[in-house]
Amino acid sequence: MMHLGWFLSYNPQGWGEIHSDRGNHFPNPDMFVDAARTLERAGFDYLMIEDGSFIPDAYGQSMEYSLRSSFAAPKHDPMALVPLLAANTDRIGIIATMTTTFYPPFLAARLMTTLDHLSHGRVGFNLVTSHNDRTAQNYGLEKQFPHDQRYEIATDWAQAVTKLLTSWDEDAVVDDVENGVYADHTKVHTVDHEGPYFSTRGPLNAPPGPQRVPVICQAGGSPVGREFAATYADTIVAPSGPLSWMKEYRDDLRERLSDHGRNPDDVKIMFLCDFIIGDTHDDALELQRRKHDEQAQDPEKVLARMSFASGVDFAQFDLDAPVPPIETNAAKTTTDAYFKGREHMTLREIATSVNTSLEIVGSPSSAADQMEAVMAEVGGDGFLIGNPVTHRALADIAGDLAPELRRRGLIRSEYTEDTLRGNLRAY
Amino acid sequence: MGTGFGVYNWNGRWTGNVSQDVGNPQLFVDMATSLERAGFDYMMMEDSSVLPNTHRGTFESSVKNGGTIRFDPVPLIPFLTQATKHIGIIATISTSFYHPFMAARLFSTLDHVTNGRVGMNLVTSSNKSAMQNYGLTDLIPHDERYARANEWVDVVKALWNSWDEDAVLMDEANGIFADHNKVHTIDFEGKYYKSRGPLNTIPGPQRHPVICQAGGSGAGRDFGARNAETIIAAVKGVEEMKQYRDDVTARREAMGLDPKGVKVLFLISPILADSTAEAEEKQAAQHAAAAANIDAQVAGFSYFTSTDWSKYDYDAPFPDLSKNEGHQSTMNDFARSGATIREAVMNHRVQESVPLLGTPEKIAAEMEEYMDYAGGDGYLVAMPVTRRNITDIADGLAPALRNRGVIRSAYTEPTFRQNLLAY
Repeated sequence: MMHLGWFLSYNPQGWGEIHSDRGNHFPNPDMFVDAARTLERAGFDYLMIEDGSFIPDAYGQSMEYSLRSSFAAPKHDPMALVPLLAANTDRIGIIATMTTTFYPPFLAARLMTTLDHLSHGRVGFNLVTSHNDRTAQNYGLEKQFPHDQRYEIATDWAQAVTKLLTSWDEDAVVDDVENGVYADHTKVHTVDHEGPYFSTRGPLNAPPGPQRVPVICQAGGSPVGREFAATYADTIVAPSGPLSWMKEYRDDLRERLSDHGRNPDDVKIMFLCDFIIGDTHDDALELQRRKHDEQAQDPEKVLARMSFASGVDFAQFDLDAPVPPIETNAAKTTTDAYFKGREHMTLREIATSVNTSLEIVGSPSSAADQMEAVMAEVGGDGFLIGNPVTHRALADIAGDLAPELRRRGLIRSEYTEDTLRGNLRAY
Repeated sequence: MGTGFGVYNWNGRWTGNVSQDVGNPQLFVDMATSLERAGFDYMMMEDSSVLPNTHRGTFESSVKNGGTIRFDPVPLIPFLTQATKHIGIIATISTSFYHPFMAARLFSTLDHVTNGRVGMNLVTSSNKSAMQNYGLTDLIPHDERYARANEWVDVVKALWNSWDEDAVLMDEANGIFADHNKVHTIDFEGKYYKSRGPLNTIPGPQRHPVICQAGGSGAGRDFGARNAETIIAAVKGVEEMKQYRDDVTARREAMGLDPKGVKVLFLISPILADSTAEAEEKQAAQHAAAAANIDAQVAGFSYFTSTDWSKYDYDAPFPDLSKNEGHQSTMNDFARSGATIREAVMNHRVQESVPLLGTPEKIAAEMEEYMDYAGGDGYLVAMPVTRRNITDIADGLAPALRNRGVIRSAYTEPTFRQNLLAY
């Protein structure tokens, strides 16, 4: 069996593209409510709302490209969207991104505990360290901390937050009406965390929610990022690529989990892929050809994404020459994925041809075949859909693909557990 | 009407299924829909970031009946607004704990999610344990807290203004989502905060969510007059109500601001019943229940004043603690009054600017009379959140006020700010 999630941002979905409803109702949240309800009917494990706190201006050293084409901007705070999605669904998990560099641990722990109550145990938080200097400057710093130090901060943060989330013992709430005791104060403790970056006294002033510690999601690809994931994560968001790389990645994470004394089966590694679904296999190939043609005519689209990941201005390079080696303090793994093994190619060739994500292309039936084959090769645990959230994409994937997967017994036919963590671990 | 996202009257009478309601939004959703039916301007959610153990140095008084539990009010907002169409929802946030960029972005997003019906009640946080929860060990002097908070508001407002009104084009024909020439960095460099900007969110229907403030010291009143659209005041008697409103007007005028641009709401805790005699019985019963459990009342007072009153003789006069860095103006009032600790605690139990007791018609008439004298602008009801209390207010008191023509009969404006400032 496999797990399914959808990876999205609270930003205009496919603005300017066909079938996107042109994204013109943005930031009205109704589209996202529709998506959550639809994916719940399809039995998805979760929606994962990524986030960022800056308008990209590395490419061309201006915000122009980003704002003109609605690339990674605007982007609204997912924490305001989570309660609305929770209020309109009953079973699907909702994960939102939080930056460990700028969210105070007490605020984070209390917010997530409250959301866990409000959603009846269906929330998670995706922990990121924020790689962009602009984010740091929005928060009053000169520039972002060095890559590995960001993970030291994240580790201290995760320790503080976990302590706060467990500051009430599991049996602290007794709800004893006869003796007039709601909670036993001897089971509620200060945490007195004194770390290198954060200190907090505790306890939380709210009792734990159904999951106690909401699901932790993480996406780090570097060695320190993987160690962080192996220590804290319940689910890991991984890029896709060659199947051999995906298998190596998953095996490496599972080994690290074992080294940390954790059961690797408790942590679901989800690979982010693009889906192109047609009525027939040939229809899908035609859609894929059109998509690649459009990409070939629009190198800027990929160049802006390279600049986003690296902070390097790719508008400064000659399009028809190879690219000098790129050094970055930002998203190292994503940046490397563009250039590794392509040192001989020109920038134009890379920008117009490279697809770093795995594409699942086919009819519901042939796409399901491919997904089954990927899982058989890689070992697990599931897929994240990276397509923009449009009604057409929802119809393709929730309406056509998911039923095919269900017929084959590859995804759940109903939610069997009460919480997100329970459903993630159900198979 | 004001409340926190907490646990009310656990194990008490008329509380419904309160155990199942802990952390459940439905009670508060019921409250919001009821208050909207009644034509209220807003529901204000107070907050705290500490589980107190001031009293006897343990958490016992805090968790025994759940009275000091507070969930984060911010994620409750979308639950309340999706069940309603008009009423404004204000949640408390601390300027000491939220970075201005995070607050500006979160509330800009909430303004969209609520369709222009959100506000923020700004507090500066003085409690030592709350500061320690956030890793802050240096207590900031009272007046400097407000200097920082003023700068915090300046950053937030500059960020809210970082997109010009006509920046978003969504021009499909020419493929332009937004005009980058109309989105600006703010490059704010103050004494306490720095932020580059711009926000990466589009301004919401209100552009600036409503700002609410409570706090009666000189620095607090200046902060409210300078920044807020609504101020919550706890005073004693109609004379002080009038003085407070006049004081806000004078401060606004001195700053060159329109005095009508801020609505001052006075705290009340009306006791409603079918007859005055019944209301008196109800009040006596409430008082007796509180007096019988004086320790719980003192515990609440210990937290409020950051002082462990369990160590004092409850029947000795209230000592002078005017140096206390906490709720400064309140502490001075107690010391001046000459009351014993027991008396002070029992008097402080109910926060009300004027005592109101009787039938809805009688109370409505008194509310009108007092407000006419004070010169504006309204009341904030502070009562435990039980469905019985909600019904007393929404279905008893509000119709009586509407019959007198002193509250709205319909919401006339599209946003919270516009409704608040409509009259």
